Order: sequence, then structure tokens, then C-alpha cells
Amino acid sequence: MSLVIKNLYARVKDGATILNGVSLEIPKGEVHAIMGPNGSGKSTLSKVLCGHPDYEVISGTAELDGQDLFAMSVDERSRAGLFLAFQYPVEVPGVSNANFMRAALQARLPKGEELDAVSFYKTMRSTMAQLGMDTKFTARAVNEGFSGGEKKRNDVLQMMMLEPTYAILDETDSGLDVDALRIVSDGVNAMRAPFRSFMIITHYKRLLDYIRPDVVHVLYKGKIVRTAGYELVEQIEENGFDFLKTEA
Amino acid sequence: MSMEEAFALAEAEAKLKAALNECQARFDKAKMPDRRNEDWRFGRPHVYAKQLVDTITARDNHNYFERMVICDKGNAATRLTRDDDDLLQTEMLMQTIGSDALLKRHIERFEDGYSLYIEEDTTEVIELVYETRSFCSPSTFIMVAPGVKAEVHIIYSCLEIGNIFAACNIQVAAGAELKVRVQAESDGSDGRCMIITNIQNMGGKVMHLTEYRGLRWAREETVAELYSPGSETKLFSANRLVGDSVLDQHTRQIHHVGGASSDLLYKNVVDDNATAIFAGNIYVAPGAHNTDAYQSNRNMLLSEKATVHSLPGLEILADKVRCSHGSASAPMDDEQLFYLCSRGISRRDAQLLVADGFLADVLNKFHGESQSS
Ligand SMILES: Nc1ncnc2c1ncn2[C@@H]1O[C@H](COP(=O)(O)OP(=O)(O)OP(=O)(O)O)[C@@H](O)[C@H]1O
Ligand SMILES: [Mg+2]
Repeated sequence: MSLVIKNLYARVKDGATILNGVSLEIPKGEVHAIMGPNGSGKSTLSKVLCGHPDYEVISGTAELDGQDLFAMSVDERSRAGLFLAFQYPVEVPGVSNANFMRAALQARLPKGEELDAVSFYKTMRSTMAQLGMDTKFTARAVNEGFSGGEKKRNDVLQMMMLEPTYAILDETDSGLDVDALRIVSDGVNAMRAPFRSFMIITHYKRLLDYIRPDVVHVLYKGKIVRTAGYELVEQIEENGFDFLKTEA
Repeated sequence: MSMEEAFALAEAEAKLKAALNECQARFDKAKMPDRRNEDWRFGRPHVYAKQLVDTITARDNHNYFERMVICDKGNAATRLTRDDDDLLQTEMLMQTIGSDALLKRHIERFEDGYSLYIEEDTTEVIELVYETRSFCSPSTFIMVAPGVKAEVHIIYSCLEIGNIFAACNIQVAAGAELKVRVQAESDGSDGRCMIITNIQNMGGKVMHLTEYRGLRWAREETVAELYSPGSETKLFSANRLVGDSVLDQHTRQIHHVGGASSDLLYKNVVDDNATAIFAGNIYVAPGAHNTDAYQSNRNMLLSEKATVHSLPGLEILADKVRCSHGSASAPMDDEQLFYLCSRGISRRDAQLLVADGFLADVLNKFHGESQSS
């Protein structure tokens, strides 16, 4: 059981090709980190996996536990267990956080079954407490007027409530204060399980010191150019991505 | 029931039916105003209304007021009938509505209605329901005494092929606060509704919300007049249009004096082949300095075939006026839809969430932020 990406080429609709043959396998239970210089295609990869309408797959495959990801609609992918905490979470005016989460959880229930409102609010409140979020955020419109760090926390809140089996975190650490970084990392670590895996996109070693990855990949110009263990993180922290230029 | 009574009843029913049929036929034949017909703009509500105010002030003890049932905690209202009160017709209705032409049509058909003189704070919402399966043309008159707070909910229900052609006159005295929620709805596919409203604010606070649901055709003409400094009138509307329904809204904010404020926020979610038309006008009379007047019409389009015509307008003849008007129509934001879908919500449900959210903004402003939808 794993997330398997094979030879993935994708481009901006009617535009430039961004992913140039990405191949990657994340088995269940593992945490993989993806690093790479700005503009190398990390966010594009995560959005293509979720089915963002700005991009189109040129060729290649992606399978989630054997299911063809690209044959599924955006919402089906989520219900199949995929989750993306966005680098830039979107503001949705008028839709309250609570209504949003209720709809997302309701969508996971069999037809005709109603979400239990009382236990829903209880879970939402306790998860928010765990993330140090004020309860007033339940009534506020999704991400609207949230600070950068609040938006990131809100995406992590969604992850914790939806309990995906494959979670992608795109630079969730950027914008978080020191305490929030620790709280969010604790949350992720608490979710680590043999039936769940994480793809953690980050520029910083600090996050990966909290959430120790099993495997580290470097994405460069739309391709995975190096795969190694945690020592790669330390190497990048010290010397940056200079090695890419000599290799390329 | 005696034979005579039964006979009289049957005769009355037959007469009523014939009258309704005739009304319906006339209504069907009559040319409906459309978006190219802007005649209503040249009605003279401000001129007439000024006379009306003077009349009311001069006749404080006129028996007209004595004949009204004083509304006690929102339970009692006077029912008007066509020949009940000539004074009401000639002075209250004929001369105050925005469009002369439409008003004339309303008077022709005027059957009954309610008049409310609200003298005490009402704890409950006063609910008025007009319902028809054929045609009705009701008038509502609402007057709120100085310093009194009240809330009125008017429901126009067009069942089956029911048509409603309504007029509503609202007067709010100094220091009074009135909230009016107008809901026009149809359960069938052919309900049509036209509502002309005149709101005269003499120094109070008015909030007026219109909502149209399931009607094939609806036209609204709302004229808000501000007569005293400190008057505050807010107009709202929130609608979701589907099928090939048409909503045609015309509004006018008339500032007769300075130091008053008016605000308008009309929002529509337009789906399928539906059409939303908005023509708004803010008029600030000469010398009405220090006026605040705002107007905003926003539409969210859910389909390629949905149509919006939006025509906000300003006519400012005074100085030191803070005025703004704007209109915006845009398809639903793809990025927002993607975000919701990425959490497992189907596209249709996501659209409904965003559409409801778009309109919730208006409803929250009307009901107060605390009472969210
Ligand atoms: N929708 C788009 N339209 C045009 N160009 C795009 C689009 N999406 C991505 N790109 C381009 O593709 C490249 C990769 O972008 P992407 O956001 O995936 O980079 P990234 O690796 O996440 O960078 P960062 O570390 O700065 O977040 C960039 O050059 C970017 O400008
Ligand atoms: Mg990125």
C-alpha cells in the first residue's frame, strides 16, 4: 500500500511544462520530505496530485493504494484519503469554518446518514484546543482575514479532523511562530501511524528535526534528482543546493 | 346555512371567480415593464411624498388614524378593503409610490391589505402573509411611532400560477427602528410577483430586506426617501435565481435633506439561464449636504448562460457628500471551489456552500452578525 508516482509530466494549462518526469513512491507508514529550490515544482506536484484545475497531466501515472488518482475528481481523491495542506490556503468568504468541516465530514458518510452535530462540535473544539486555536475560529469564514500562521494552523486542523491516509504538507512551517511550529509538529507526530504516510515539503531543517523523515527527496526543475536519508537535510542546511549545479 | 345564504355565497363566489379571471386576463395581456423601460425613474415620489408628510403633520388628529387598530404586541392589524378608505387610497397609495404607471395598475387591482400603526415596541415579529393561486394585489401600510422598535415580515406566496402585484408604504418616525423582511416565493413554475415599496424615513432607522425564491418573474421597485437629518435607511436583497427566471430590481435612494445616510447591498447568485437586472439610483437633493449614500450590487454567476445587467447611478446636487456606487459580477471563484472540493466536498455542494456564503453576508448584515445562517 503506497502512493506511487511514475514518470509524471505536467504543465500549466496551455502553458509551460513544470513537472518533467517525477517518479516517487511513498509507502504507508513513512514520512518523506521533499526539498528543492524555489520554483522547482514542489507545489505544482502537490496540486497536480490533488487535481488542481490550473494544471494538466501530459503523461505518467499516480496511484493511491492501487487506485488511479488521475481518474478521480478532486473531491473523490480527498475521500480516497489524500490531503493537501496548502502553501497558500484559500480564503472562502461567507462559509464558516464549522460549516465547511461539517460538509467535508458529511461527504464521507454513507448516503442517508447524518453527521452527529454534538460530537462534531466536540471534536472540532478539542482539536482546535490542541492546536492552540481560539474557538471563535469555528464561526469565522474559512481563512478570511486569518494571519499567515492562522491559515496554516487551520489547514492542519482540517487534516487532523479528516484523518487522511496520505497527507501532503506544503511549507506548512513557513509563517508559523516557534511555539506553533512545535504544536503543529506534535500534531503531525501524533498522527503518524503504520496506515498513514506524509509528504512534507519544506525549506527548513527545523521542521524536519521535529518530524523526522524516513526518506528525503530533492526536486529540481520538475524532477526528483536525489533521494537519501536524513543526512541530506543536514547537507542542504550547510551547503545549500550548490551540488545541483555541479550535477546538472 | 339557509337556502338564501347558500345562494348568496355561491353567487359571491362566482362573482369573485369572474373578477379574478378578468383580472388575470388583463394582467396577462398587459405589457410588463422591462429593463429598457425606465419610465419609473421619472415618477415623482419625492414631490408627492413631501405633500403627504405635510398632510400628515397637519392632520394629526384626523379620524383616519383613529380608525386604525393600534397594533398590540404584533397581533392585531387592520384589514383594508377596496372601498374601506378613500383617504388611504388617494393620499397614502396614489401619491407616494415610485412609479406612476405601475402605481396606477396597482390601484386598478387593489383588493385588500393590512395597515399597521405600531405604537409600542413589539417583542415578536409581525407577520403578514399574502397568498394566492390566481391573482392578488395587496397593499400594506406600515407606520412606526416615534421611538418605537418593531420588526415586520411580509410574505408574498404565489402558489401554482399565482401572480401578486403588491404595494407597500412604510413610514418611520424619528427615533423609531424598523426591520422589514419581504419574502416573495412561488411553489410552482409560473409564479410572478411585482412589489413596489416606498420607505419614508423621518429620522429613524430602517432595514429592509427582499428575498425572491422560485418565482419565474419578479420585479421590485423600491424607493427609499430620507426626510430628516439622522435618518438611516439600509436596503438589502439576497437571491438565488435558477431556471429561466428573471429578477428585475429598481431602486432609488432619495436624500431630501443632509445629514442622513442610506446604504444598499443587493446580491444575487445567478444560475442556469436566469437573468438579474439591477438599476439603482442615488439622488441627493440640492442643499442636502453631509449625506452618506452607498449602493452596491454584486452578482455571482454559476453558469455561462446566466445574464446580469447592472446599472448603478448617482445624481448628486449637494456638497460634502460621501457617495459610492458599484457593481460587480463574476463567476464563482475556481480557487475557492477547488479548496472546498479538495476536502472531499462534491462540486455541487461546494457551489451551494459558496453561493450561500455569498448571500449570507447580506443576511448577516440584516439579521445581525450574531445570528448566522
Ligand atoms: N498556474 C501557474 N501559472 C504559471 N506558472 C506557474 C503556475 N504554477 C506554477 N508555475 C510556475 O512553475 C514553477 C514551479 O512553481 P511551484 O510553485 O511548483 O514551485 P515550488 O517548488 O513550490 O517553489 P517554492 O519553493 O517557491 O514554493 C514556477 O516557475 C512557477 O512560476
Ligand atoms: Mg511551493
